[in-house]
Amino acid sequence: MYALLVLVPFFSLLALNLPFRELNRRLAFGFAAILFLLQMGLVFIPDVYFWRVHLSFFANIFHFQLAADILSKVVLFCIGLVSLTALCVSRSLIKESEERFNFINIILLAVAGMNGVALAQDIFSLYVFLEITAVSSFILIAFEKDILGLESSFKYIVLSAVATVLMIAGIAILMFIAGSTNFSVIHSALLSQNRNLLLSLSIGLFLSALFIKAGLMPFHGWLPDAYTAAPAPVSIFLAGIVTKVAGVYCLIRIILSVIGFNDQLKGILLLVGAFSAIFGALSALTQSDFKRMLSYSSISQIGYIILGLGSGTALGVAGATLHIFNHAVFKSLLFVNSAAVESQTGSRDIDKMNGLAKQMPWTSLTSILGSLSCAGIPPLAGFWSKLVIIIALWLAGYKIYAVIAVLGSLLTLAYFLALQRKLFFAQPNDEFKNIKEAGFGLIFPAFFLAALIVGAGILSPWILSNFILGFNSLVGG
Amino acid sequence: MMVQALLLILIIPLISGVIMFFIPKKERRAQEGLLIIASLANFILAVSLFPQNFTYRLPWLDSGIELSFRLYNFSSFMLLSTAFFGFLIALYSVIFMRGRNFLNQFYGYFLLCIFFSNAVFLSDNLLVLFFFWEGLLLSLFGMIAVGNKEAFKTATKAFIIIGVTDLCMMLGIALTGHLSGTMTLSKINLPLNNPLASITFILLMIGAISKGGAMPFHSWIPDAATDAPLPFMSFVPGAMEKLLGIYFLTRISLDLFQLNAQSGLSTLLMSIGGITIILAVMMALIQKDYKRLLSYHAISQVGYMILGVGTALPAGIVGGLFHMINNALYKSGLFLTAGSVEKQAGTTDLGKLGGLGRVMPVTFGCFLITALAISGVWPFNGFFSKELVYDAAIERGMIFYLAAVVGSFFTAASFLKLGHAAFLGKLSSQNEKTKEAAGAMLIPMIVIAAACVIFGLFNQLPLKYLIQPILGDRLEGHNFSGFPVNITLVVITFVVLFLALANHLFGAKIKGSGLAALDHIRYAPALSKIYDLAEKRLFDPYHWGLGLVNIISKLSLGIDRGINWLSDGLSVRLAYGLSSGIRKAHTGNYSVYLSWSIAGMLIIFVILIIL
Repeated sequence: MYALLVLVPFFSLLALNLPFRELNRRLAFGFAAILFLLQMGLVFIPDVYFWRVHLSFFANIFHFQLAADILSKVVLFCIGLVSLTALCVSRSLIKESEERFNFINIILLAVAGMNGVALAQDIFSLYVFLEITAVSSFILIAFEKDILGLESSFKYIVLSAVATVLMIAGIAILMFIAGSTNFSVIHSALLSQNRNLLLSLSIGLFLSALFIKAGLMPFHGWLPDAYTAAPAPVSIFLAGIVTKVAGVYCLIRIILSVIGFNDQLKGILLLVGAFSAIFGALSALTQSDFKRMLSYSSISQIGYIILGLGSGTALGVAGATLHIFNHAVFKSLLFVNSAAVESQTGSRDIDKMNGLAKQMPWTSLTSILGSLSCAGIPPLAGFWSKLVIIIALWLAGYKIYAVIAVLGSLLTLAYFLALQRKLFFAQPNDEFKNIKEAGFGLIFPAFFLAALIVGAGILSPWILSNFILGFNSLVGG
Repeated sequence: MMVQALLLILIIPLISGVIMFFIPKKERRAQEGLLIIASLANFILAVSLFPQNFTYRLPWLDSGIELSFRLYNFSSFMLLSTAFFGFLIALYSVIFMRGRNFLNQFYGYFLLCIFFSNAVFLSDNLLVLFFFWEGLLLSLFGMIAVGNKEAFKTATKAFIIIGVTDLCMMLGIALTGHLSGTMTLSKINLPLNNPLASITFILLMIGAISKGGAMPFHSWIPDAATDAPLPFMSFVPGAMEKLLGIYFLTRISLDLFQLNAQSGLSTLLMSIGGITIILAVMMALIQKDYKRLLSYHAISQVGYMILGVGTALPAGIVGGLFHMINNALYKSGLFLTAGSVEKQAGTTDLGKLGGLGRVMPVTFGCFLITALAISGVWPFNGFFSKELVYDAAIERGMIFYLAAVVGSFFTAASFLKLGHAAFLGKLSSQNEKTKEAAGAMLIPMIVIAAACVIFGLFNQLPLKYLIQPILGDRLEGHNFSGFPVNITLVVITFVVLFLALANHLFGAKIKGSGLAALDHIRYAPALSKIYDLAEKRLFDPYHWGLGLVNIISKLSLGIDRGINWLSDGLSVRLAYGLSSGIRKAHTGNYSVYLSWSIAGMLIIFVILIIL
């Protein structure tokens, strides 16, 4: 029945645009919001009532296979959460209703694509859904049709096109080897294969393509520009979930379900992960643009996720997945904060703005929680996922990488403290004397996400004990 | 009845001491009244408790820390002595301290000092004893600190020196508990037959002799002499510290451990005693201040007691204990005369004094008796105790006897100089109007001087009834009262005293004044350099310690700054340098970004295919 997760957004997109456009325009927001809430809720429904109900009718019309495991469910939840946040924020930031309607339409399309990615069980469907997601993000980045947006969208298209080419080549080779696109069929075919040039080539192509999509260093060139130039709701959407699903989730899925771990693969993942974690954080250190700093921070945090994956153990993958969730929460929150600051002051330059804590207390408070969670300070949610990743690295014998991960956390703390000190706690600047707190549309999502950080942090021991168990079957030794 | 008296002798000084702190500054009469009444009550109680034996136990926490007090001949003797000096010096300080600041604090610490001393003497549990022993440090610090402006520094010095040695003692107590399995003093009797026991003994000994003021833990005493209020000097380093230190030293040598005469530890103790006698008295010789000169004698005299107890022979121990009580008498008496001179003449600088014997005859008389006693002249008390120590020392080794006799020579010489400079000669012009001190200050001096004579002439009184019972079986039937048995030693003593007098007359004649009478020793070829160094505090272990601490703290600061530079300087600069480098590399040109991606891809292929 989970095919509905793809089909409902997709058909509602069609439905919204066919008859009664005027009426639909007014209903679109509420409809999308309910849809995303439902998606979040579905994750908690026991398997027998939803996830294992098969509708052969749909399956016969559309020849793609879908399946959901715990990894998919976490990602589906994140998709719902971040889309809802972006939707809320768009209500107060995109003033014109026509524009907002368009925005909602594209979001729905992107959600359909991402849900498909999360559920796909064969590499070609995965590729198709990935492209749907990518195309909708091209449009989103250039949503305001300004020169910067168009330029960074173009950069994304170029690099994304490269990634697409690499990926389709990789798929072709895998089809050639295994004779099928289905994950499990390819996986069993690869098990009988010895290591050969063709297979290595295919893996290399996949990795490169997905590294570009995920924005890992040194494949990250498009990412800071895209995040920075995009309008605020789009930044939230892109940073919070799109690149995570398009890049990181795909990578995890293909490695777990298709390729399987080997030493070279782990080596590459750890190398790229550590490189991104450290150099992403270092780059963030001297940024003066709020959103650009957050972009580099995203690169650094994706590095952590890949480090967790690179450990090659169930614990590491669990940590990585948990970090995807945490990152979706705190990075969305921080982008909401940046949107609040930008909308109230008209600027994103950290060096110019000082002492906003008095004028914008809620923004300040929630951004502190987001920053601390990102830097991995207990008992906030970010601490637990980083801890799991570091423990997994240590237990897997990659002790140097565990140390690097800890050092990266210090750097994270360093740039976030610098940000907080300048933006919220320094001596107030006369220029920004009359600033007021942002409106409810921006405060509510920030508050909700901050509550989630604290709540998930405090409940983490429970989440961990129930959550990690699900991964043992996934990695399968 | 006895239990009540025993508890009262602890409670009265404690409560009255605490109350004293809360009496307002202006209520001088109330402060003085409370001091006199409390110390008198203490004295009466000590007398009533005197010849009795019993133990009072209060089990506490079931942990081996038992609040137990034991009254027996030794502790009741010590209680009586403390109460005797406490009362006399309280009487004296009421007059002496008038017009000074912080009176309530000084009196309060004074009473607390009596309380802690009583408690130490009564304690039958090592931990309880140590608790009160540390309390003494508090009252010591307080009493020095209320002196002049420099006093705080001196108080800190005393606090650090005694604090460090008390730490050794604490370790020793822990080891004693470990070795014997109990903390009850009366149950411990350990043989000194293994290294651990010896170390324990040395640690406890350090605590005891530093309390007594022996070298090398002495250096705060001369400083306190100039900075602290005089009644403090008379009471604490003059009497109490010796009583406490020698009491504990005797307890550990006689009761806690079986120190025997042939052991190395006994020799160690005797060496410390001998060295202390000689070095301290050499320093006393060259002092030009009444109080400072006395303070070096306070150090030197403890050497005789340690030497005596250290012999581990009955004659030595009896002599040492007898010398302890004698020294407490004449030393506190001497300090009281110094206070009387300070109060009346306004100074204790010997260069400005002179001829006071005519205007202050009673003070001079008391000085004369106590000075003769400390020099060991027959028939005063010092003569008899020194003879006993000589007797035991010569049995253990000629060198120890020599040290003691040479010490005697210099003691006599320095007191001849002191008496000559202060009380004889011409009355200086600024002292022409000086009068005799007030009656309340004279009474204590007279009583003490009288006691010196009585303890000399009727020495069987203290020896038979106070001191010899302490040794019990170890006395082996000896009786040391009466005139010394070894006539040869007595003759030598007389010769030495005569030589000291001749030396003084010779010095005074060539230099023309009493003060400069010993300058031929001060500026003797070999000694003058050593004296110069000593005056620069080069032989003060505290001074070395301060230097060492200074070096360590500078070194630590250097290390700290270095680490700080690494963490706050280098790493931050490195991070920001890297960061701005990366920032410059992001040109915004997508061909650059694309080439990075391709480079990354190539690396991946290299790893996958070649490695």
